[in-house]
Amino acid sequence: MAGTSKPARTSGTNKLSSQIDSLLKGFRKTSTASNLPDLVKSSSRLLGTLLKKSKIDILFRPQDSTDWQLLADGHANGLEQLRDFLGGKKLSAYTLKKTPMGICSASLLADNSVVVLALKPPTAQTKHSDSDEVLLRLFMSLFEGAYREWLHRRNEKSLVFSLNHRVLQLNSLIDTGIEISKLDQGAPLQRLALERAASLTNASKGIVRISEGERVVEESFFPDRFATQRGHGERQTISTSFTFANRTFAFELFEKESRHGVIPFEDTDQMLLDALARQVHASLENRFLLEKELENQRFEQDMTVAASIQKKIIPVKLPDIDGYDVAGINIPSRSVGGDYYDCIPLADGSFALVIADVAGKGVPAALLVSSLHAYLSAYLEGTLPLSQLAQRLNKVIWRASTDDKFITAFIGILKPETGEFEMLNAGHNPTYLLRGNGTVEEFGAAGLPLGMLDIDFPYQSERITIGKGERLFLYTDGITEAVNEREEFYDNEKPLRDFFLQHQTPRSDAFIIELISDIKKFTASAPQSDDITALYVRRLP
Amino acid sequence: MDQPFALTSDLRNNCLVIATSGYVNNVGGEAIAKEFARHFEKGTKKVVINLAKSKVVNSIGMSFLIEIIEQLEESGGKLVFTDLDPAVEKMLAIMGLFKFAGKELNVEDALKSLSSRK
Repeated sequence: MAGTSKPARTSGTNKLSSQIDSLLKGFRKTSTASNLPDLVKSSSRLLGTLLKKSKIDILFRPQDSTDWQLLADGHANGLEQLRDFLGGKKLSAYTLKKTPMGICSASLLADNSVVVLALKPPTAQTKHSDSDEVLLRLFMSLFEGAYREWLHRRNEKSLVFSLNHRVLQLNSLIDTGIEISKLDQGAPLQRLALERAASLTNASKGIVRISEGERVVEESFFPDRFATQRGHGERQTISTSFTFANRTFAFELFEKESRHGVIPFEDTDQMLLDALARQVHASLENRFLLEKELENQRFEQDMTVAASIQKKIIPVKLPDIDGYDVAGINIPSRSVGGDYYDCIPLADGSFALVIADVAGKGVPAALLVSSLHAYLSAYLEGTLPLSQLAQRLNKVIWRASTDDKFITAFIGILKPETGEFEMLNAGHNPTYLLRGNGTVEEFGAAGLPLGMLDIDFPYQSERITIGKGERLFLYTDGITEAVNEREEFYDNEKPLRDFFLQHQTPRSDAFIIELISDIKKFTASAPQSDDITALYVRRLP
Repeated sequence: MDQPFALTSDLRNNCLVIATSGYVNNVGGEAIAKEFARHFEKGTKKVVINLAKSKVVNSIGMSFLIEIIEQLEESGGKLVFTDLDPAVEKMLAIMGLFKFAGKELNVEDALKSLSSRK
């Protein structure tokens, strides 16, 4: 307080000096406060210890705000003093002014916030001294410094937090990619991606919607179901989508959070959402390809089983027929084929010679071959005439096959002792018989292929006698239509009938070997286009 | 589908135990901070936060948790997180929360570790 005598001045100077020391020391501690209220509270307490009898208010106006906050209320009528102090003027820098109630000091801080300190003397009669003013000026200066330090610390913390958050986003993007790519996980990928996207972008909520055309087939909300509405402000939502297997996966995030309410999404948020959606897309494609690969593997396994079953249908060794030399071959173009041949001993001592070709290849053809084999074996156990047997086969094959599937077949019943041979050609290639006089007889189709039409077709069998030394040759179109690299047919270039006539081998199997060798020579490196099957019967002289 | 954010709290041996469920975002973080402040003002300086039912935390939620940690650090208190989902644990670690806060498998372990503190 005010004083006039010299000793008193010396004492006052000492006191001021001591107060300044205390203020400096106090601010060293005060300036480490972690938040603004703590900084103001400890500053106010510090000043209070120096100006014991004064009442102190501290007011604060944040940058870009017009509202004043009373951060320290020491009953100094701070807001009233502030009105007198400002008098409708704007603050530009540090100002100190005496008001009717006391002293007001304002300071423009480093971030354009304003702090105002209002001092009120303990009584109306008391006035603040010059040293009080000095102290106040020093206090404001120190407070500005402490505030600047606090701002630096806050900005540094914010920067560290922001950098950590970027590291977190990057790390989480990698982790999420790994988790999403785990193909055996149960939770839908898009749900995990939605959660991570919301978390990493600070979205308050999100949705992933799967649609087929206009129809929504699945929706997943985060954190819980909410009503989606149109008309969000600019950058209040971000979205991305992709299409996979005729389904559109649309991700949408809403309301980016901050400590001060909703803020617009940033470009990096959109990039993160896009990246996470891409990971889901890639993972779905990988799953699809893996499933396809597994399906292929299963199909290959099924084909292997089918091939082994078919091998049991096609004879490994033909039965010995007394007085005859019989040989046959079947070379499927795929793992399972649509050709069939057999020589089946019958109860009365005769033999059924069969060769057949299913229209088409692969598993469907192989299935029909199995059906033909089963029905034929069953019917041959009876005493059906060949024409009726063919009729029945026609019916059952028609029922067992699709519209585009049928079987061309040649069936003959040989009585070995007499050489009598009853035969029936259901749409199959001509069968050749080399007579003893060196002529070749041809027995062409005399009926529709089996299973082609659902009618009681009047199949007609034909009876001949195979004489001693005569040869019978049955084959499928895989031989006549074997194709070389110039896409020429074997039979066109080298008529099979001529080959049959010219290769009268001493053994049936030798004929088959020479025939296959000739076909291979003709086709050379061209891939085998169709199943190759042949049956050769030579009545011994 | 996740449930809306919710929390429960109780005082056990002078420790505040907060258990949350749902998204720890602005709403969740603020709710935790308020519950903490209510007890901190009364002198509670040991806190356990059980995040077993919170599988997703965003950085705004984490900023509230950091403030709680700072306040406890300044007053000589301690915060321990428990029942952390691996993804959440990694997030908190990257954001530096475990420099000043602890983590335990469950609430009982956390209470034991806090009981050894003065």
